[in-house]
Amino acid sequence: MGMQGDFYQLLKEQGYVFGVAGQAAVRSELTTATTILAFKYSGGVLVAGDRRATAGNMVMYDRTDKVLEIDRHSVMAIAGVPATAYEMARILEHSFKYYRRTQLQELSFEGKLRALSKLLKENVAAALAGTGAVAPIFAGYDAGQEAAKIYFYDILGAEFEAVEYAVSGSGSPTIRGILHYLNTWGEQPLSTVPEEQALIHALRLLTSAAEFDSATGGVNREAGLYPVVKFITTDGVKTVSDSQLRSLFETRVSRPR
Amino acid sequence: MYEEPYRWVEAVGNRRQYLDDQFKEGTPVVGVSYESGILLITMNRGTPKLYEIYDRLALGGMGHPADLEKLRFNLLEMAHVEGFNRSASDVTGSRLVKYGIAPVIKQAFEEVFKAPFIVKILLAELGQKSGKDGFLTVNYDGTFEENSRYAVLAATSAVEEEMIGYLRQQSVVSLKDAMDVAIRTWAIGDRAQRSVQEGREDHGDAQKDPDRPVTDTATLDAHLHRCIADKTIECALLDRHAQVPSKYRVLNTDELRTMLPQDLRSSLT
Repeated sequence: MGMQGDFYQLLKEQGYVFGVAGQAAVRSELTTATTILAFKYSGGVLVAGDRRATAGNMVMYDRTDKVLEIDRHSVMAIAGVPATAYEMARILEHSFKYYRRTQLQELSFEGKLRALSKLLKENVAAALAGTGAVAPIFAGYDAGQEAAKIYFYDILGAEFEAVEYAVSGSGSPTIRGILHYLNTWGEQPLSTVPEEQALIHALRLLTSAAEFDSATGGVNREAGLYPVVKFITTDGVKTVSDSQLRSLFETRVSRPR
Repeated sequence: MYEEPYRWVEAVGNRRQYLDDQFKEGTPVVGVSYESGILLITMNRGTPKLYEIYDRLALGGMGHPADLEKLRFNLLEMAHVEGFNRSASDVTGSRLVKYGIAPVIKQAFEEVFKAPFIVKILLAELGQKSGKDGFLTVNYDGTFEENSRYAVLAATSAVEEEMIGYLRQQSVVSLKDAMDVAIRTWAIGDRAQRSVQEGREDHGDAQKDPDRPVTDTATLDAHLHRCIADKTIECALLDRHAQVPSKYRVLNTDELRTMLPQDLRSSLT
């Protein structure tokens, strides 16, 4: 005889199934993508991500672009299963373009946030089964409020605004603490640092994440592999070139010996 | 009453006459390809006539705004579904027109119990390289034409021929050239349409001097001065050098002021 008064048990006896699972997944074989970060600096928002994709212990790919430009004013950075994340980015990109072209006006920033949230909700079953978990950061320029903003999501689609910074992916616990330290006790709050300093912070943060998280790729100077970094300002999204990252890394990021 | 074939032919003939009448007061649309893109130009009294369809596709239209809207949505749906399911490179003007809207327009035109589309369409497609641009024009009966360097829409085919005649003689390299040529081609079209209309209404004769369209710059610019006073210039580019996937861009008044022929700049408010 089962335990009396167990409401959950009762529900189950009534045929209730909690959380519809997808097909059982073998987690270790799934490709996942890893450290992404976004923070506010003096000119707007910086979004950056490493380039490694892993499946279990295996490095699948070292040139993944996890910081995806969705339109001229918004960027989605992805952590989780790339197949699902790229599909989401593709749907968003087309949704925003289609809205702009049919309605002859931009979708509002709130509308864009909601669109991503809806996709994540649709994906809950796959996320819980482990085959499609994605925890993205969405950053963009809110024309209505005249400010660049950062939002992050959990795998179920809950949306949170980041006042100063947001991180996601397996390497994020490492840099979350650093970001807090920098912002609170650094020379100046992150939101006031100029563009170049913001870039230096981003490169150092991702290098630190790679130090402690095997699933995060740092900088591979021999192969010329640098993280992807984008700035969002009033003018829209701007990608930092590899040559700029290289020269900055050589002159400013590493401590002089 | 349309069961007999000759009745049907007669009904289609009436419909053609009816439609020709609807475009009499329409505004011409001109598309010109230049080295680094395509320029589209027209004038309107409030309702826009130029639209973005896809990353490298732009639409210009003449006719009833509600019909144009319906076809514009058709094009947008087809383009975006195709672009998502396949790729942006698979969205081509030719397929959108030949398998998409042209059959729909033709069917509506020939179904004499239903209303036809009161619309003429110009679809401009930006190529990857200079010289690879394309234009498709669709008439109200669903017939379409393809061109590579330029295309026009006007009230009648006679007016369109006058405009094309002028365009054929021009050489266009820069955006500035394209602007000069396009706006003057528009003026030729608009003048021709008005002279047909005034001729009919005031004197009963079709055209005063049909064989020799006026192409001298001073006359055309004087006409443009008058038009700019009561209409708005609408101008859009498909810019090959744009750093984003969507190449369509509307030119604002400040940009127009710097690009229009010198004599016309003062008329812009």
